[in-house]
Amino acid sequence: MRLGTIAVREALPPTAAYVTDKEIQEPLWHYYYDVEKSVAYLVSKHTPKLKMAKKENVKVKGNVQGSRNDECSNPFSVKDFFGDMPWLNIPLGRQATFIAPLYPRGGLLGGSPDGVPKMSKLQVLAAARKKKAQEQKSSGSTLVEAPMANLTLDSSKSREPKAGSSSRGFPQRKRKDSNPHEKAPTPVKRESSKAESQDSPMETPPPDQAEPSAFANTMFSTPPKPAQQPDSFFTLPYNATPIANTDPFAGPSPDDVVMAAQSKASGKGGKGPPKTNGEKRAEQIANGVEALKMDDTPRARSKNLDVLAEFEKAETKNAANFVVIGHVDAGKSTLMGRLLYDLKVVDQRTIDRYKREAEKMGKSSFALAWVLDQGSEERARGVTIDIATNKFETAKTAFTILDAPGHRDFIPNMIAGASQADFAVLVIDASTGSFESGLKGQTKEHALLVRSMGVQRIITAINKLDTVSWSQERFDEIRTQISSFLTTAGFLAKNLAFIPCSGLHGDFIARRSTEEAAKWYTGPTLVEELDNSEPVHRALTKPLRLTISDVFRGGIQNPLSISGRIEAGSLQNGDALLIQPASQKCFIKALEIDNAAVDWAVAGQNVVIHLSGIEEQYVKVGDVVSSPASPIRNVKELVCKVLAFEVLVPMSVEVIRGRLSVAGRIVGILGVLDKGTGEVVGGKKKVRVVKPGQLARVKVELERGVPLEAPGRVVLRSGGETVAAGLLE
Amino acid sequence: MTDRRRINGPSGGTSAPVYSKYLTKDASTQIERPMRSRAPNVLRKMFLKTGVTPSASGSAYLELEASKSTNTNTPGLASLSTSGLKLTCTVHGPRPLPKSAPFSPHIILSTHVKYAPFATRKRRGYLRDSSERDLGVHLETALRGVIIGDRWPKSGVEVIITILEGEEDQWWGDDRGRGQVTAGEWGMMSVLSGCITVASAAIADAGIDCVDVVSGGVAAVVRGQGKQSTALVLDPVPPEHQEILAAAIVAYLPARDEITDLWVKGDIGNQAVQSSSYEELADNAVQAALGSHRVLVAALKETADMKLGRS
Repeated sequence: MRLGTIAVREALPPTAAYVTDKEIQEPLWHYYYDVEKSVAYLVSKHTPKLKMAKKENVKVKGNVQGSRNDECSNPFSVKDFFGDMPWLNIPLGRQATFIAPLYPRGGLLGGSPDGVPKMSKLQVLAAARKKKAQEQKSSGSTLVEAPMANLTLDSSKSREPKAGSSSRGFPQRKRKDSNPHEKAPTPVKRESSKAESQDSPMETPPPDQAEPSAFANTMFSTPPKPAQQPDSFFTLPYNATPIANTDPFAGPSPDDVVMAAQSKASGKGGKGPPKTNGEKRAEQIANGVEALKMDDTPRARSKNLDVLAEFEKAETKNAANFVVIGHVDAGKSTLMGRLLYDLKVVDQRTIDRYKREAEKMGKSSFALAWVLDQGSEERARGVTIDIATNKFETAKTAFTILDAPGHRDFIPNMIAGASQADFAVLVIDASTGSFESGLKGQTKEHALLVRSMGVQRIITAINKLDTVSWSQERFDEIRTQISSFLTTAGFLAKNLAFIPCSGLHGDFIARRSTEEAAKWYTGPTLVEELDNSEPVHRALTKPLRLTISDVFRGGIQNPLSISGRIEAGSLQNGDALLIQPASQKCFIKALEIDNAAVDWAVAGQNVVIHLSGIEEQYVKVGDVVSSPASPIRNVKELVCKVLAFEVLVPMSVEVIRGRLSVAGRIVGILGVLDKGTGEVVGGKKKVRVVKPGQLARVKVELERGVPLEAPGRVVLRSGGETVAAGLLE
Repeated sequence: MTDRRRINGPSGGTSAPVYSKYLTKDASTQIERPMRSRAPNVLRKMFLKTGVTPSASGSAYLELEASKSTNTNTPGLASLSTSGLKLTCTVHGPRPLPKSAPFSPHIILSTHVKYAPFATRKRRGYLRDSSERDLGVHLETALRGVIIGDRWPKSGVEVIITILEGEEDQWWGDDRGRGQVTAGEWGMMSVLSGCITVASAAIADAGIDCVDVVSGGVAAVVRGQGKQSTALVLDPVPPEHQEILAAAIVAYLPARDEITDLWVKGDIGNQAVQSSSYEELADNAVQAALGSHRVLVAALKETADMKLGRS
């Protein structure tokens, strides 16, 4: 610019020596530093009248312009300068109009991408007009036109009418620009495409081109201007400067500048500004937005977490599932209802309501059981039918209760519950006669079943001791009988615990007894005993196995969801799953634990998995979910080592594993095994019958392929009775 | 398919009644069939402008002037006036295809042509009917050969044309059961020609690469003054002619001398007077397309100037 100014000054004739640098720079700028053109322009401008330059200066400096443009024929004097100053009595026509600042073109509303939106059309028009005015002036310019030509020199001002006419946000080019003649003193002429084409000589309409109709005119022409003298517009300072046109985000923001200075001052130098909370949050939001994008995809993308490491980090409470077993009417549900009530999992109101309803049905003692027995059928009959789950937490551990049905008709449900349990609570009815009948009944069967399902530890809650007035003899009697039975069933003595309690009154459950007669018991309460249970070992590193315990519709967005306990392995969002026996692959859309969305889950947790990419028909209760990398195989024939409860001969049986149940038949007894060593006894003699209590290896043929594999535990039932239980081989 | 979403008016025409006194009085007030005032080889004047719809990637508006009624004494009823053609076209895209869509190595073009309910003398429905779908298919054919589709894999572009004022199929005076001589729906031809031109402008406005700008043109063989004579006219206005024997519409690329769409309707027949052949018809349609191409180019030049900041 400086060089150009010097060059122009040299080229100017001596008569034009008074021209200021600023005046030189302006045409230079507009002619893109073309020295020749600038000189020509300056010469043409300054030769006719010297005063023009001065007047222009005045006008450019103050952006306010009077409507009157009277010529000052004298050299500049203060008096003339203030000559037309109205001194507060400003005529209406000269009052400035404030115009909304020119908003940057956001293009937020779309619009066709403009190729080079550098200059607005108005700017361009102004430039064209300037050129034209200059041409006219050079060919004998009149005094009237000259000031007008000067007026348009300030390109920033030519943008003003646009700000007035434009509606914010829409691209400017969509409208025909405002009439170029509007700035001229001539009356405002209604613009048409014809006027436009006259302005631009390169565009000669072809003969076929029509004038727009009245309808088209409403679409394309600008609305008539408000009756205002355009000259009285007043731009807010700085708005019309070229800065407004440049990208406001190109440089560092003022905050960045300050932050950089601060960090430099505190010696952090090259590290750049530290991240503020705001930035972090912005990043989080950005991440969140990215995560949202992922939801568009048919399946959730895996975060590729190292689930095991995450699990270590998470330091969750120990989680333990226990199954409550016992003879029918031993008070299992009531005991658990009392437990939940005393631990404030269930509020008083709910219990009161249950009490009222139970009294109405004439079963007031069942009120606590209704906490777990939610089904109307269950409540009406007063028995648990299906597994009910509930949760509570102690200081150390988060427990999941699996309240199993005691009735022998619902043994499969009980097995399903037991297969998810880490340990068992055996509830025994201590009242006279009930214990004996129970021992013969499901007490024994349940204990054997949970043992065969792999449960190691059993807590025996001797219930209803209040009915025998907390007799210690009764407690000891039951304890001896049960412990001898459980030891024979294969439980270790150290894994047994006996607690006297009363489910109905709540003694020794969450609190110690207040009864005088119960003072003899000094051991732990049921809750304390539960808390003593060791953290269970989780098969985290093994391949994923999960038996589906429920299939349901998890909401509008999750058309298919399953729930179950992860038996082994781990999973995370986005993982591929293989559902057996259907052999269908699907993907995890989302995971939930305790109604809270999580990213991953590990063995031992009860999860709800929202699936994607699978039809409902392929997912059934009892199916096994595994990872496609190490799938579980469907087998039609299995060899298992079973403990016989009844006489086993080649017969049709029902093979139950968790919720999975399939019909099959024992096709061969491969041998009777020694209980201690596991060796085949009796040599090679073919065995035809396995007596109750014997350990035998049997071969079972199944009707259809089911997902079963080696360390799994199965129960064989026949005719509504459990005939054997054992390990797959 | 029935439209169950709206309460629709009667399916029949809903234009205001025309009373017979206007039709049967003396010759001075007799409403006459509009006459073609242009020479047979002159097109109607066309107004074409891009950048109508700010929210679209590209848009254009086209109108053809209405033919003036020859009789100035006719009552100025709106229902008696003949209409021109007014089309507006928006182009959305190229934009990415939805995730669910299968992979496509080239751009997927979808065209929608819809008459506004008020566009024709007989009110149109809100759902596209078969003739509108037909126009859409023709338009797609015309445009598919023009767009360089390989440059946008996995993307789609939608061309949506709304016909604000449609060409009439016949003079309304004939619309009383007595004039149903020919195949009808001649207005569709001019509409399709306009659709092609306006879509071409909108696509250019959207900045989609094309091998050339395609323009549409119509030519028709009409029954002449004499009983047996036929005449070939460019850009026919159906109300102006007693009978249109055949019409052809082409979508023509002038720079490459290619035709991307050709649709001939009607029957020139093996009449004794073989004044015109189908080849001649198509050639004349190409001439008409050249005429509209000129307007198209002028409009696009204006667009380009506006975009490049020249004026």
